[in-house]
Amino acid sequence: MSELLVRSLEASTVFLLAALGELVNQRSGVLNVGVEGLMLFGGTAAFVVAKSSASYALGLGAGVAVGALLGGVHGVFSIRLRGDQVISGMGLWVLSFGLTTYLGSPHTGPLGLPPFPTFAGLSPFVHAGVLLVVAVWFVLSRTSLGLAIRSAGENPAAAAASGVNVPAVRYLCVVFGGTLAGLAGAAYTLSYNPVWNYNFLMGWGFVSLALVFFSMWNPWILLGGSVLFGAMWQLSLNPEYVLPGVLSRYVWRTVPFLVTVVTLTVISTPWFRTRWGLAKPQALGVPYSD
Amino acid sequence: MTREQHSAQATARPPVLRARGITKAFPGVLALDGVDLEVEEAEVHAVLGQNGAGKTTLMNVLFGLVQPDAGEVYLRGRRVRFRSPHDALAHGIGMVHQTRKLVAAHTVLENLVLGHPRARGLLDLHAARRELRSLCQRYGVHVDLDARVWQLPEGEKQWVEILKALYAGARILILDEPTSALTPPEVQVLLRALRNLVEEHGVTVLLVTHKLPVIRAVARTVTVLRAGRAVARLPVSEASDQELVQLMVGQEVALPGLPTDTPRGGVLLEVEDLCAYNDKGQLSLRGVSFSAHEGEIVGVAGVTGNGQDELAQVLAGLRPAASGRVRLAGRDITHLRPLDRWRLGMGYVPADRSEVATVAAFSLVDNVGLNYHFDPEICRRGLLDRGRLERLTRRILATFRVKAPHPYVQARHLSGGNLQKLVVGRVLSRQPRVVVAHLPTQGLDVEAATFVRGRLLEAKSRGAAVVLISEDLDEVFAVSDRVGALYEGRFVALVPRHQTDPETVGAWMAGLAGRDR
Repeated sequence: MSELLVRSLEASTVFLLAALGELVNQRSGVLNVGVEGLMLFGGTAAFVVAKSSASYALGLGAGVAVGALLGGVHGVFSIRLRGDQVISGMGLWVLSFGLTTYLGSPHTGPLGLPPFPTFAGLSPFVHAGVLLVVAVWFVLSRTSLGLAIRSAGENPAAAAASGVNVPAVRYLCVVFGGTLAGLAGAAYTLSYNPVWNYNFLMGWGFVSLALVFFSMWNPWILLGGSVLFGAMWQLSLNPEYVLPGVLSRYVWRTVPFLVTVVTLTVISTPWFRTRWGLAKPQALGVPYSD
Repeated sequence: MTREQHSAQATARPPVLRARGITKAFPGVLALDGVDLEVEEAEVHAVLGQNGAGKTTLMNVLFGLVQPDAGEVYLRGRRVRFRSPHDALAHGIGMVHQTRKLVAAHTVLENLVLGHPRARGLLDLHAARRELRSLCQRYGVHVDLDARVWQLPEGEKQWVEILKALYAGARILILDEPTSALTPPEVQVLLRALRNLVEEHGVTVLLVTHKLPVIRAVARTVTVLRAGRAVARLPVSEASDQELVQLMVGQEVALPGLPTDTPRGGVLLEVEDLCAYNDKGQLSLRGVSFSAHEGEIVGVAGVTGNGQDELAQVLAGLRPAASGRVRLAGRDITHLRPLDRWRLGMGYVPADRSEVATVAAFSLVDNVGLNYHFDPEICRRGLLDRGRLERLTRRILATFRVKAPHPYVQARHLSGGNLQKLVVGRVLSRQPRVVVAHLPTQGLDVEAATFVRGRLLEAKSRGAAVVLISEDLDEVFAVSDRVGALYEGRFVALVPRHQTDPETVGAWMAGLAGRDR
């Protein structure tokens, strides 16, 4: 039972890290639908480097660096070249999917290192994730950088007229988003499930993307949503723990997606919007040119 | 010349802000051509000019948003070069743009703090709130700091912007067309406050506008721009309206000499107890009745949001009537589709020329086609006759003096005035019997506005019934045979023009008088 809890939290952390990065770049106005691709690439890089150097630290560094780099690539397309952000994100996903399959398949199989060190019985990624939620919330709501980020995502023209360097802010956020996506991928392949196989993520990146919308761009709701989704995912693997034989694992596995659909439907109703205000950054996905 | 003597006197004190020989070219246009500007400390200096004269570009240069190709800017005698708005703000120059530059989802306080020079690292909202409270008190402004910006009326949003510039330490305020989105009472409040800022607090205001009454009310000196050149700089008290308009337009402007008293014919349009809901589901048109006769212009005045949008859209068939009747030449058209109304001889000039009246990415030919696609002359068995349509477009461009390089240019490349002439032209060239014109001259310069009004008068003299829905009282009085005002979805009154005056109608618009109890 406590094993299930630990595994749930570790799964939640993968969702949380990726979604938190995406939340930050969306708050600055840049949509990156290619998180799945960034996670695949970051995870594969971390796995391959860790395996060949027998060093978790090097693997982690490689995963984070690759994520940051790909975030920067998305930034060039969507900020500098003002391209369509959905196309660029999908392109990154398709590219990453293909390349990681090619680069990773020779390494198919377990990592073959001693288990990832734990801290207070949990993978250190869990602690890092919670600390990052606090940090992101603090920066967004209590600092002038956060105000600049939120303004760039709501009304970049107003931000620019107030002296904010909108492209710089957006680059910063999109690279941060990529870094966290890479970290999430590394958390998956180094700690949660240290085995490389074809398409190992199975759509976790897209669940993370949905989580951002689910959270209404609020880091605390995002934390709660991640824990919920992680638990539901883990239950779908071991349904016998709670309600043995009640539902097939395949039904359980659809629950995160069903919850996402229901949430998205509810938050897009006029009733919800007038009651809670517009949560979605107004300029999300809109290229900015001055 | 006397004008130069004035300016020599005026420069006895060194100007606080001086621009010399500012030149800026955009692809295909010389926006500014060696413009000089001198602004004295603690005065309201007006910059007057038509649309496209270069006013906004000049202000953007002074605020660091646009880099000039040539020319220098001096602040208190020292040469300055602003690479960004940040530089300008650091030198005490703030700008309130024509379009709001506020983050609608954020609170007023957050908007005011954004980009503030002292807002580095941690946000100290408590300190900012204290400072802003005292600032509000000093300038006699009441703004709810915790309200979200989208909840505020236009006038208050503008105050937030002015406050923001002052809070950032601006001693020179650039206001670009500050009155264009405001209601008349809001304009009065703004002008009073500007006078207070200048006289009591020594702030310098650069006011960009094409409205003469605004200049008369607050400005001491005016610089007139025409086609990218500064053509005059003179004290407001010594310039007549006639002179200023002439400087601005470069030629004499007069309404075309059309008969304003065409004998009134039979009733063409009859509106009976018309009600309609607005987009929020509120009954905003509440029992409007009137008729428009052959050869008559009915002027409907009113402040935005008193049912004008709904009236225009119900007449055009774009919004269902909740109750009531509309008859065109005796025939009930209340429930007819827009296209059937057009076939019966109705013409509609929508208020929003770039979003509703035209498609920005379409060529002028296609935009004209939008009003002719049902015409058997142009469209046979579903096929458009492109040749005819192009000839028709060329005729409209010539007749309505639309300045366009060729008929296949995209509508987005036309200036507001030219686009509006095209819209009016394509409606009137169908010779409609009833014309509904909603804000037909909003945002146009004097020349274009005069031209459009002239065409409406021409339609009337041809026997059309024109319903002119306008917020510009002067316009309503200049062309209408009968004048009315909408207030909260009802006509306060509708009387022949010579039986009333603008002050009375202004009071009706404000809901002050003339209402049945």
